[in-house]
Amino acid sequence: MTEPRPEQPRIGVDEWVASAEERRQRSFAGRLEEAIDRAPAAAKLVVFALPFALFPFFTDSEYVTQVGIDTLIYVLLALGLNVAVGWVGLLDLGFVAFFGLGAYLYAALASEYAGRHWEAQFAVPVIAVAVAATGFLVGLPSRRLVGDYLAIVTLFFLQIWLVVLVNASFTRGPNGIADIYPLKLFGREIVSLEGYYYVTFAAFVLIVSFLYLLDRSRTGRAWRALREDELAAELMTMPVNRLKLMAFAVGAGIAGIAGALYAPQQGAVFPANFDIVLLITVYAMVVLGGAGSIVGVTVGAVLINASLEALRDPDDASWLFYLAIVLALILLMRPRWLPVAVLAATAVFGLAVHELAEQVRPSLVAGTTFGTARVDELVDSWVLLPEGAIGQDGLPAGALARLAYVGLVAAMLGLTLIRSRLWRAVALVPVLYLGACVWENVLVAQPAVARFVLIGAMLVALMAVRPQGLLGKQRVEIV
Amino acid sequence: MDWDKLVQLLVNGVTLGSVYALVALGFSMVYGILKLLNLAHGDVLMVGAFVGWGVLGWLGGAQDPTVAVWLVILLMILAAMVGGGFLGVAIERFAYRPLRRAPRIAPLISALGVSFFLQNSVLLLFGANFRSYDSFDLVDVGVGVEWGPLHVWVMRIVVIVSALAMMGGLWLLVTRSKLGKAMRATAFDREAAAMMGIDVDRVIVKTFFIGSALAGAAGVLVGLVFFQINHFMGFNYGLKGFTAAVVGGIGSIPGAMVGGLFIGLAEAFSVGYIEDLTRGRLGSAFSDLVAFLILVIFMLVRPQGIFGKPEVKKV
Amino acid sequence: MRKGLIAAGLAALVAVAVVTAAVAKPAAQTTPAQIAACTNVSLGFLGPLTGPAGFLGQEQLSWLRFGVQKYNKANGTAFKVVLGDTQLKAPVARTLARRFVADSNLMAVIGGSESQAVVVSGNLFEKADLASISGSATQTNLTNGQFKTFFRVVPNDAIQGPQIVTYVAKNLKAKNVVVIDSQDDYSLPLASAITRGLRARNVTVSRESVSADDTDFSSVVANVDSNVNVVVFATQVATAANTLSNQLREQGKKAIVFGTDGAYSPSQFKPRTGYVSVFAPDPHFDPSARALIREYNRYSKNKEFGAFGPATYMAGLVATTAVRSACADGEATRAEVTRLTRRTNIPSIFGGRLRFSAKGDPLPTKFVIYRITNGKYAPVG
Repeated sequence: MTEPRPEQPRIGVDEWVASAEERRQRSFAGRLEEAIDRAPAAAKLVVFALPFALFPFFTDSEYVTQVGIDTLIYVLLALGLNVAVGWVGLLDLGFVAFFGLGAYLYAALASEYAGRHWEAQFAVPVIAVAVAATGFLVGLPSRRLVGDYLAIVTLFFLQIWLVVLVNASFTRGPNGIADIYPLKLFGREIVSLEGYYYVTFAAFVLIVSFLYLLDRSRTGRAWRALREDELAAELMTMPVNRLKLMAFAVGAGIAGIAGALYAPQQGAVFPANFDIVLLITVYAMVVLGGAGSIVGVTVGAVLINASLEALRDPDDASWLFYLAIVLALILLMRPRWLPVAVLAATAVFGLAVHELAEQVRPSLVAGTTFGTARVDELVDSWVLLPEGAIGQDGLPAGALARLAYVGLVAAMLGLTLIRSRLWRAVALVPVLYLGACVWENVLVAQPAVARFVLIGAMLVALMAVRPQGLLGKQRVEIV
Repeated sequence: MDWDKLVQLLVNGVTLGSVYALVALGFSMVYGILKLLNLAHGDVLMVGAFVGWGVLGWLGGAQDPTVAVWLVILLMILAAMVGGGFLGVAIERFAYRPLRRAPRIAPLISALGVSFFLQNSVLLLFGANFRSYDSFDLVDVGVGVEWGPLHVWVMRIVVIVSALAMMGGLWLLVTRSKLGKAMRATAFDREAAAMMGIDVDRVIVKTFFIGSALAGAAGVLVGLVFFQINHFMGFNYGLKGFTAAVVGGIGSIPGAMVGGLFIGLAEAFSVGYIEDLTRGRLGSAFSDLVAFLILVIFMLVRPQGIFGKPEVKKV
Repeated sequence: MRKGLIAAGLAALVAVAVVTAAVAKPAAQTTPAQIAACTNVSLGFLGPLTGPAGFLGQEQLSWLRFGVQKYNKANGTAFKVVLGDTQLKAPVARTLARRFVADSNLMAVIGGSESQAVVVSGNLFEKADLASISGSATQTNLTNGQFKTFFRVVPNDAIQGPQIVTYVAKNLKAKNVVVIDSQDDYSLPLASAITRGLRARNVTVSRESVSADDTDFSSVVANVDSNVNVVVFATQVATAANTLSNQLREQGKKAIVFGTDGAYSPSQFKPRTGYVSVFAPDPHFDPSARALIREYNRYSKNKEFGAFGPATYMAGLVATTAVRSACADGEATRAEVTRLTRRTNIPSIFGGRLRFSAKGDPLPTKFVIYRITNGKYAPVG
């Protein structure tokens, strides 16, 4: 459509805008959305739960099954946090304390240390209720405190809980409780990893169904109203305080169940398991997945935990790194041929620089990379590998590697400042090459650290690109 | 009554409190203007500490400085302030500005991402070992102020005085200067300030610069008086600074100062007196617990903090 | 909504891809004893590489890599080191343990560095017949027979405690002692044992506690009476011991700091007067080990280290020796490696030869106490 001249009346524009909603409904995406809405809830649940149910059949490895169980536990935690943070908008920074409480309560009910072994069908509901009650108590300050003040009080509760865990004699301090009995369901002890997976899966299905129904109930609608505008909700005679307390209690109860399933599977609980880093991870899962959406936070939890595990292996990390760059370029650059051009130009640029360096200063390409993946070998003859830039123990030796790293960060940030799409694409080429050089030299030598650097950068980038999360709705908050 | 111990604890508490206050100021300033919890603030302190350490090494190290000791310390603080300030500006520009209109939890996650990134970048660049400021080599432990039988090392005085000076300078800036007026206006009502012709973006950038510069300076002070720094230190100071800001009334500058002192003193006194108070039942292991309990009760009694204004919502 | 659907679709694709990749990992391995072709052997390292205890694990990893590289050069082997960053968290250690077990090329584990990691990984390794040799896990009950494939090259706390008690009570003739722990699984049992032992000898003991990542001890120091002779500090952070002794001096207290083996570090714990106990004569001072130190300094560009680095070097040596012997016939199983580890008898950089007791403790075992004067270490007992 050509730029309309100011004095000419714009015919048809308003009608076109007005019929946008109609056109969307007739499009593929619109019809898909409608079909999903109309489908019966049970069918949606089956489709949603199916991948999780079939997961253990795809692997023989205990390691992968363990990762699956960990992921399901994270999903439960994300679902619980979603209630307080996503549905009601309460910033609960003490959430993992409920998880820890659930785990330690199970240890108190079924371990050698406690001297008893309650069966799971009694222990888990009791724990759920007890932790939910604690959530209720912790939520009481929400009557007097709003927003960030509430956040900090809940944070204090978490800290208090951690101090008690580490120092009180009845919790066995930092040594934790290490002889927890396995889950005994109706007389049968669960000892295999697959068994725990399916028990956790069953809990997952039950909790998702419960939350789905809760979301569509009066309480769910009230929570939504509360989140949008608390004052208006109160004026509409909704019992605001009671609703907030319920949100705390439900979220806490779910975390408690997760803890009760986690403890027997691990066989031991330690205070360090339930710290702020875990809190941050669960928050990231909820927000990146889309706060407020059950499917969203589940997907967020799966993606983040799977990425974290995949990044643990330095070989996989290399693949993921390069794949992520290519994907990001393809997804974010328009027109479609531009990313291809950029990648091709980077390859050529790299080869040119490599050749030049080999002729002029061979020591710049004489080093070796710590990377062991195929992709690292392929890239070896393309990037600069200065000799001695990285010490034998994997840390940067001398200024070159450090300057390159800092330079890369500065260059990437500077890139975002370039307005013109063309110039940005042009500037991207040397920056991509520098990125590959820094990866092959500095980052693959320290995979454990590189993992966190990547995760941090990803969180910032993802939030900048899509702040409402994957499946969240764009919301405007009145501050 | 063990007066020596009391005075010693007082000095400890004020030293700690000054550092917390500097961190809290940065938090409060940013929150006042953007209603944003800058959880990466503690890591700015950490970077400042490393910048200071780098300058110390560049100037010959603690054993053999090439210039006078007071100049060394001054240069370290200035370098950390500049470094911290620019880092804060970069964080605002790249991590927070794209999220101005997003739900409030998005910048929190972004801040956590920045925190991970900074901590582990420092780990990558400098290694995992603790670095020491070797302050006793710089200024001997004997140099200090005598107060009866009590001896206060001069470095603590340096920390307290520097912190007070910076807070005083900030106070003057906020109440007397044009920039300060613009900051207060933007904090009060961002849209109205923009309509009045204030360049809101620039004010925000300057606020971040000043707040982060204070955190950077705090990092150097921590290194000077507590000797060792590492990539993980920002977390604790950030947490305490955040607490101090909220307790003092978030968004309020005198509140941040008083809140910082309050937290520092609470920490010092709870360690010092917990055994006496609980008649030996709880050891210093539980001092953290006591400090947090005090804070919880305080927040319940006065939710808006010491200097905060009770929130009045207009319908 | 449309963008959201596309995003969700892509995310699902990525998720399937990532999960499939994670799933299609090296073999399903359910049989505990397995054959490796001996051409691609790797050793796993299980310890904290990031986080507040990162410096411990990084030091150990550095010495391990150094040792493996040295061994490879001298013997023509091609052993690799696989990293397992526990982040000091037990569940992560457990998942990593499973990961190691599932990796068919992995023939031995160096670690867990922290006792917690051993507790959660011990029976997983035992089920897989996988030997794990730790250079720093000192909790006493780890070698009470519960983990049959666990070994350590450092003596456990049941030996260190009494030795410190004896020295403090008899040689230092201290009447008034403060014992400080750092609230973790290393220091609390040790501090309790030392406290009990001292009290049994009629020494007045008061207990204090700090957090493992505390950097300011001024208030704890304020609690130290002026008639206290010795402050025993159980910590894994040598710089914390240094700060403590600095702050004791700052407040004019006459007490000196006695650090446990975690405080040992000639480059970081340099009080004017102090003591530290460590589980072996320091390679820094043993003339036969000086060549090794020089080599390490060349390798690491003079990186600082404490006691646990060289210990991990020894653990690595145990593993590489055992694997090489097992591979002498071209094939090796984990059970074979474990058997050979049990029969280890190699020269130790700490003097004498290193062997293991039936339960996995090192023989001989000895703690040495060093007196530190103006930052200089000298062995005293």
